[in-house]
Amino acid sequence: MTNLPPPTLGTSPPPTSGTAPAIDIRALTKRFGSLTAVDSLDLAVQPGEIYGLLGPNGAGKTTTLRCLLGFLNPTAGSVSLLGGAPRDLDVRRRVGYVAGDVTLDRHLKVRDLLKWYGDLRGGVPAAKTETLCERLTLDPTRKIGELSTGNRRKVSVVQAFMHEPEVLVLDEATGGLDPLLQRTVLGLVQERRAAGAAVLWSSHLLPEVENIADRVGILRRGELVREDTMANLRAEARQRLELRFAEEIPAGLLDGLPGTSDVAVDGRTAHVVVDGSIAALLTHIADRDVERIVSHDDDLEDIFFTYYGDGSEDQ
Amino acid sequence: MSAIVLRQMLKDRTRSTIWWSVAIVALTAVLGASYPAVHEQADVFDTLTESMGEGFAEVLGAVDGLASPVGYLNSNFYANLLPILLLVLGIGMASWSVAGAEGEGTLEPLLANPVRRSRVALGRYAGHVIVLAIVTALSTAVLIAFREPWEFGEISASHFAATGVASFLLAVLFTTITYAVGAATGRKGLAIASGAGLAVATFVVFALSAFVEIFESVRWLAPWYWLLEPSTLSEGWTWQAIGLPLLVIVPVVALGTVWFTRRDLR
Repeated sequence: MTNLPPPTLGTSPPPTSGTAPAIDIRALTKRFGSLTAVDSLDLAVQPGEIYGLLGPNGAGKTTTLRCLLGFLNPTAGSVSLLGGAPRDLDVRRRVGYVAGDVTLDRHLKVRDLLKWYGDLRGGVPAAKTETLCERLTLDPTRKIGELSTGNRRKVSVVQAFMHEPEVLVLDEATGGLDPLLQRTVLGLVQERRAAGAAVLWSSHLLPEVENIADRVGILRRGELVREDTMANLRAEARQRLELRFAEEIPAGLLDGLPGTSDVAVDGRTAHVVVDGSIAALLTHIADRDVERIVSHDDDLEDIFFTYYGDGSEDQ
Repeated sequence: MSAIVLRQMLKDRTRSTIWWSVAIVALTAVLGASYPAVHEQADVFDTLTESMGEGFAEVLGAVDGLASPVGYLNSNFYANLLPILLLVLGIGMASWSVAGAEGEGTLEPLLANPVRRSRVALGRYAGHVIVLAIVTALSTAVLIAFREPWEFGEISASHFAATGVASFLLAVLFTTITYAVGAATGRKGLAIASGAGLAVATFVVFALSAFVEIFESVRWLAPWYWLLEPSTLSEGWTWQAIGLPLLVIVPVVALGTVWFTRRDLR
């Protein structure tokens, strides 16, 4: 991929700009020897906002998150959580983290690990962890070493949410979970957002975050190459619509409509590509007997693949 | 908070500590109960001691003769078996505490909790020291309790206690090196190699110092020399057996821990 669109950083201010960001990353650079994993990254997440950090494997997402948690020391720049340093214990008490690779003490029972972590957090009511386990259909009496990858992910999710954190840092948080449980986790994240928490969700898959992220940033080779609201990206994306009419489509019905292109009609079915709003199209066909409209939102992903491009080749 | 880490560490180690304790107490009992039979054959052992020369007897901690209580216990237990067992136990635990946990991936989620790195590391280190202390104390207690029936009456309870503490400190010393290298680097293999390697190297220096001149000039560096020359069983609480290990242990723990708090996790 050689013709990348120009970076459009800062085109959209965060939704609640004016308040202090809960997650504030400034000019963060992290090098490992000659490899620059993250390069001059600026990123802020406001309270009550879900930020999707996207990028191919090896783009620098996990390194960014590990700097944010204080596991790695920045080579340059700074990170702050809730106005404090990541290793500040008062800050840590208010942060929840789901790691990308979930490795928890295999010999412990789920319940014992949650109790231990809860004690380190000054005590978390057992009812709270039990409720979370129930919602995620996780058996707390099982040994962690006996659990499947998905079930270990659930333990990680429970320990990250059990103290009702004000900041959530999630690295591929729904990886390995079935669609139903993915939805449950999305619900948990949305609940935290509603309570005012800031969420930084890293993923290499757009569908994992597209339905709940307020903004997304795309990392490629350690640099933020695009940052925007999901609303703006959706407006930018072309939609492929399939329209099924009750009767044969009159010739030329869909020709020449503003924003539409690639019109293909076959009997009672039409395929149309729409740039931006579909309002004009809907108005135009409002008096027709349309049985079904199917939207294929593939172009949203196409935008991301444009940025992923050659960034993934070196993996 | 380190109390929570320590409590969890001890909880995790309860079963293995019980097994180690049972094994070492049983071994101590077998060795101790066998002594009266050896003592009866003192003449044979004295001839053996004389024939092997002073240097070899020194390595075995048996300058007083293999059949004397001090010579018997040193040559069969305190100069080899007990320290080796304690080292296996201590180095195994210490290599896991930071570097092993980091390698397997369990350290990072733990450190995402509101707990300082130093508290986690020192809490676990304290756990190793406690486990080593329990095992050594039980072994020492058995010997003190059966001192008379096993014909070790000439060794006072205080000297037994001093030897128990000195053996414990020798094990703690190499355990500490393992812990510190693991904490400073996050590399389990390097941590084990450092602890076990130094234990073996210093033993070789001590063992050969009676025969090789160059080793004799540096044997004062070997913790085994501090433990066995002179023997705490005969001399009691000596400065070199008790004080010198502590002089090494304290700064090494501090250095490894501080380094751990400042570096990147792997």
